[in-house]
Amino acid sequence: MTGSASAIQGQSLTKIYGSGNAEVTGMEDVTFSLSIGEVVALLGPSGSGKSTLLTIMGLINAPTSGKLLIGEALVTDGPVAKVNLRVYRRKFIGYVLQKTNLIPFLTAVENVQLALEINDIPCRAARNRAMELLESLDVVHRSGNLPYMLSGGEQQRVAIARALANKPMLVLADEPTAALDSVRGRQVMELFRTVAREYGATVMVATHDHRSLDIFDRILEMEDGRLVSQKQANKDSPIGQD
Amino acid sequence: MQFLLDSFHKAFLLLLHLDSEVFQIVWLSITVSFWSTIFSASVGLPVGALLALKDFKGKSVILLLLNTTMAAPTVVIGLFCYVLLSRVGPLGSLGLLFTPSGMVFGLFILATPIAANLTVAAIESLDKRLMLTCELLGASPAQQFWLVIKEARFAVMAAVVIAFGRIISELGIAMMLGGNIRGFTRTMTTAIALETSKGEFELGLALGFVLMAVALFINGLLFLVQKERS
Ligand SMILES: Nc1ncnc2c1ncn2[C@@H]1O[C@H](COP(=O)(O)OP(=O)(O)O)[C@@H](O)[C@H]1O
Ligand SMILES: [Mg+2]
Repeated sequence: MTGSASAIQGQSLTKIYGSGNAEVTGMEDVTFSLSIGEVVALLGPSGSGKSTLLTIMGLINAPTSGKLLIGEALVTDGPVAKVNLRVYRRKFIGYVLQKTNLIPFLTAVENVQLALEINDIPCRAARNRAMELLESLDVVHRSGNLPYMLSGGEQQRVAIARALANKPMLVLADEPTAALDSVRGRQVMELFRTVAREYGATVMVATHDHRSLDIFDRILEMEDGRLVSQKQANKDSPIGQD
Repeated sequence: MQFLLDSFHKAFLLLLHLDSEVFQIVWLSITVSFWSTIFSASVGLPVGALLALKDFKGKSVILLLLNTTMAAPTVVIGLFCYVLLSRVGPLGSLGLLFTPSGMVFGLFILATPIAANLTVAAIESLDKRLMLTCELLGASPAQQFWLVIKEARFAVMAAVVIAFGRIISELGIAMMLGGNIRGFTRTMTTAIALETSKGEFELGLALGFVLMAVALFINGLLFLVQKERS
């Protein structure tokens, strides 16, 4: 399944937050390439730069230097955007933030629908697709509730549904299972595996959850802002194979 | 004392019998205020949203200008508009001076900064997650605008109601740009000022009661909006 065509590559990506005396290095000289359909875990202790890398890949933050390519296209060259980032985010990227950020005045299903409607999917079709996703994430019984009525785990699953709504080619998730029990956490990881298999999405998940590492094709590890290892996962594992 | 009681009595009779002059004045005030509010809101809301959501050069100058206009006495706004609309002024050829449209123009200048400023405040107090979500989902500026207005809808509604209240109760602009022409541009406030200066209180009092009722209605509306929000 993991072809050789690159879905996204970073070349010497560096992110420095702040300036002058307040400079903080978020990550340094990170180079990687993910293949189309690959499902990759991003490990590393807290503060090692996982969120920084994901927000740069998700076009939420601009790198201080280095290049980012999505498919064949150069997307940012240092802090300079080479494409319309908003359009790229809308069409190609599904992002699950570390902290869920559902819109407080929309119900669970409307939150998911919104992502579809922003992509000009008609209301009825958007609703059906949103309900399907909530179903597959086991939160369909909460579809009519506002976010504050949901538990942390339920909110997280709605946020995941929203990220997957447009079948994005690139799915980026920042510790998506942190608020979930182990069974639900496992379900979510397997869902990522499924979208990769179904339509070739490339997935990167920052996680602390070592129990589910067997579903990944490759495991990247960060430390102090640097990418310190890239291991091919154990191909004998039953779920890692396609 | 007897004179005052008489005036009150006559004022009530005017209202009770739906006196045609009273009715006409009230109706003009309300239509002029209505259109001024519509125009102010349709410019002030988007401008306020833009100012709250976008960073650009000269933004602080615009905010300062809006705040200054908000604090300006209505006679000063009336004066500027008079100069613009007078026959020798740049907009003189439109022939708007001393017409209801001329008043709408001046009231629009008065209320647009109010609508814009209150919208800025409404949006700036919004949950930052909304803006982040819009960014994350790649929403277009128009989509972002609608979502933000939807979330801020109660405060924005309040802004519109406050603008209407300001418009219907002001005197200077209606007087200077309308000219208080009987049966044409006479509004509740200009009529009250004139009648009082003539020493005839009953029409003024009758209109005063109507204005008070309008104020009560507006504040009731604001109260309901606030309650709905919480
Ligand atoms: N917005 C920010 N401003 C300043 N420093 C930041 C910001 N975000 C992250 N950092 C710093 O960058 C480093 C990497 O953080 P982060 O990417 O959040 O790591 P992780 O997600 O692995 O916990 C940390 O030292 C953190 O303090
Ligand atoms: Mg993090």
